[in-house]
Amino acid sequence: MIALAMVAAVVVVAVRLSVTGVRVARTPSDLFVASRAVSTWWNAGAISGEYLSAASFLGIAGLTLKVGAGALWQAVGFAAGYLALLLFVAAPLRRYGSYTIADFAEARLGSPALRLLSSAVVLLISGFYLVPQLKGAGIALDELTNLPYWVGVVVVGAIVPLGVALGGMRGITYVQAFQFWVKLTAIAVPAVLIVIHLGGLPTGPAIFGHSFPRAPAGGLTVTLPAPTPVRFPAASAYASSSGRHRVASGGERTLPAGRVRFAGGAVLPAGPDVTAQRGIEWARPVSSSGDSSPLFLYSLLLATFLGTMGLPHILVRFYTSPDGPAARRTTVSVLSLLGLFYLFPGIYGLLGRAVTPGLYVTGQTDAVVLTVPQAAWPGLPGELLGGVVAAGAFAAFMSTSSGLLVSIAGTLSYDVWPRLRPQHTIGARARQAHFRIAAPLGIVIPVALALVAENLDISLLVGWAFALAASTFCPLFLLGIWWNRLTAPGAVAGIVLGGTLATTAIFLDLAHVGGSGAAGALLAQPAVVTVPVAFSTMVAVSLLRPDRGEGTDRHLLALHAPEELGFDVTMRDQNAPVGVAAR
Amino acid sequence: MSDARPWSRTPGDELADATAHGGVYLRRLVRAQLALSLVALVAFGGLLGSLPLVLLLVGRLQHITLAGIPLADLLVAVPPFPLFVVIGWIYRRRADAIDDAFRTLVRGE
Repeated sequence: MIALAMVAAVVVVAVRLSVTGVRVARTPSDLFVASRAVSTWWNAGAISGEYLSAASFLGIAGLTLKVGAGALWQAVGFAAGYLALLLFVAAPLRRYGSYTIADFAEARLGSPALRLLSSAVVLLISGFYLVPQLKGAGIALDELTNLPYWVGVVVVGAIVPLGVALGGMRGITYVQAFQFWVKLTAIAVPAVLIVIHLGGLPTGPAIFGHSFPRAPAGGLTVTLPAPTPVRFPAASAYASSSGRHRVASGGERTLPAGRVRFAGGAVLPAGPDVTAQRGIEWARPVSSSGDSSPLFLYSLLLATFLGTMGLPHILVRFYTSPDGPAARRTTVSVLSLLGLFYLFPGIYGLLGRAVTPGLYVTGQTDAVVLTVPQAAWPGLPGELLGGVVAAGAFAAFMSTSSGLLVSIAGTLSYDVWPRLRPQHTIGARARQAHFRIAAPLGIVIPVALALVAENLDISLLVGWAFALAASTFCPLFLLGIWWNRLTAPGAVAGIVLGGTLATTAIFLDLAHVGGSGAAGALLAQPAVVTVPVAFSTMVAVSLLRPDRGEGTDRHLLALHAPEELGFDVTMRDQNAPVGVAAR
Repeated sequence: MSDARPWSRTPGDELADATAHGGVYLRRLVRAQLALSLVALVAFGGLLGSLPLVLLLVGRLQHITLAGIPLADLLVAVPPFPLFVVIGWIYRRRADAIDDAFRTLVRGE
């Protein structure tokens, strides 16, 4: 009950803050980029708030619990992405002054076809990134109230479009910054208090030693919603509605729905998609094979390092900085805010291994952040801290979903709709109305996908979005900004090939084609192959069909020349983005 | 700016008229910024990129513990984040300085 009240409070405050934004959200420039008057720390807070999604708040800890310390690299990669953004993209893109990725693509390379292709990829990345957010909402509400999974998905899927349609981005900037501090507090304070309560970080044979996870001294009761297939890594025993059972090492059983009891010290079985590990295997951040092999890790780091710049909801925030140096300052601030946050998710994975080993049986490892407080500190304190964590989780779903939905609605109303009705000129007022219609429409498909994705890991779903972004928009930006010989056909070829390869790999991985060797690692984390392929395709096609029209230098000047020199020629009128003005 | 010195063309004029000289100034700016970014990238890649291999090859890091936690885990969980901020901060100062130098050049000061 306490938790539910805290979640409701966060949701109400967030919606209220969006609505306050309505009074100032009058023009499309307000709606899309908040009139470019947002200060460095507000903007850094908003970027971080928008970025810290279900994957950061629940997914890293869940994956740490499930596969072990190798999951810590994910946090490193998520933060490192902003370094790539800072070094290669932030200032030039801000100076160029396009509103969206599609704007940049068309203005830089003069190709309407490329604009449409980019819009399609934006919709794909945003849509698939939305699915794990909604999944997080579903399992969180389930965990808090025992309502069915779909309720949380539908509730967040209804509230988010409301805030987006009412507030646009001006409202969202303040909401996002507010959400960042909610999230940081919600993950840091309970972690610190619980560690103090336990008298230090947990250590033990199941964590850093040679033991498999075992039931605590008092025994462990797990409640299963449905019959669950499990595998026992060592000889053990359990009691269920069908009586007491002994199981030999390596035994596979299907546990019946309902309560299953393990006596104190009994080795726990591993549920669906979980592989039982001894403490020493679990605690190893790098191992010679599997999900923490160097090949997998480098591919993961590459995808997150290069994928962040291609996330549509993040990039649009850089246009709200007043100028290039401000965009750089903002990014450095983001690095420090994120660095602070990412110290904590791993702690929940570690605590979870000690106090909620039952999650290995159910397979619901993504819920570990939500279940640790009550398990580690029974009674009122645990309940209060559980409420704080749940409120933070909802802040995560809401803020990331809002940002993604702004991108989707912006792309639909601004890039796609005008193309479908080319004979009509669309005024500012009509465009705003389209944006507000597109917001609820844009979330329908992600909600439907989230309803069927209950058993997929949040981290897996998010990893897909990163790999796709790194294989499409990252080469477009890096070459478009730093190489004056990139051509539109080159960019199209690279995006199509990189995007297709990345998508295919992930779907093959979902179908479990690859196995556990190098092939499996590459399918689960394809960036190390698909990113170089996308880059070399763009370069090769551009060189084969050179198109050195006049004006390439003009683009480089607009991208790189400092402000106040009069070279930021592409965009003076804030209400007429580059692509539109050129037509 | 050119009115003050009608007898000479400033780099700003060359750039605005997209002359060959202007192209040289522009490429010099882009190259300077790119070189700086690549240096920062190498620093990042060298330090973070070697970490997985170091942890894999130096097994002892798994057995040395600090407050009960293996050093190998701590090395992944904590130092990368301040490292990113430090690299970012140094990069930002140098990049702004390159911008300032270009601004001075173009204005012919």
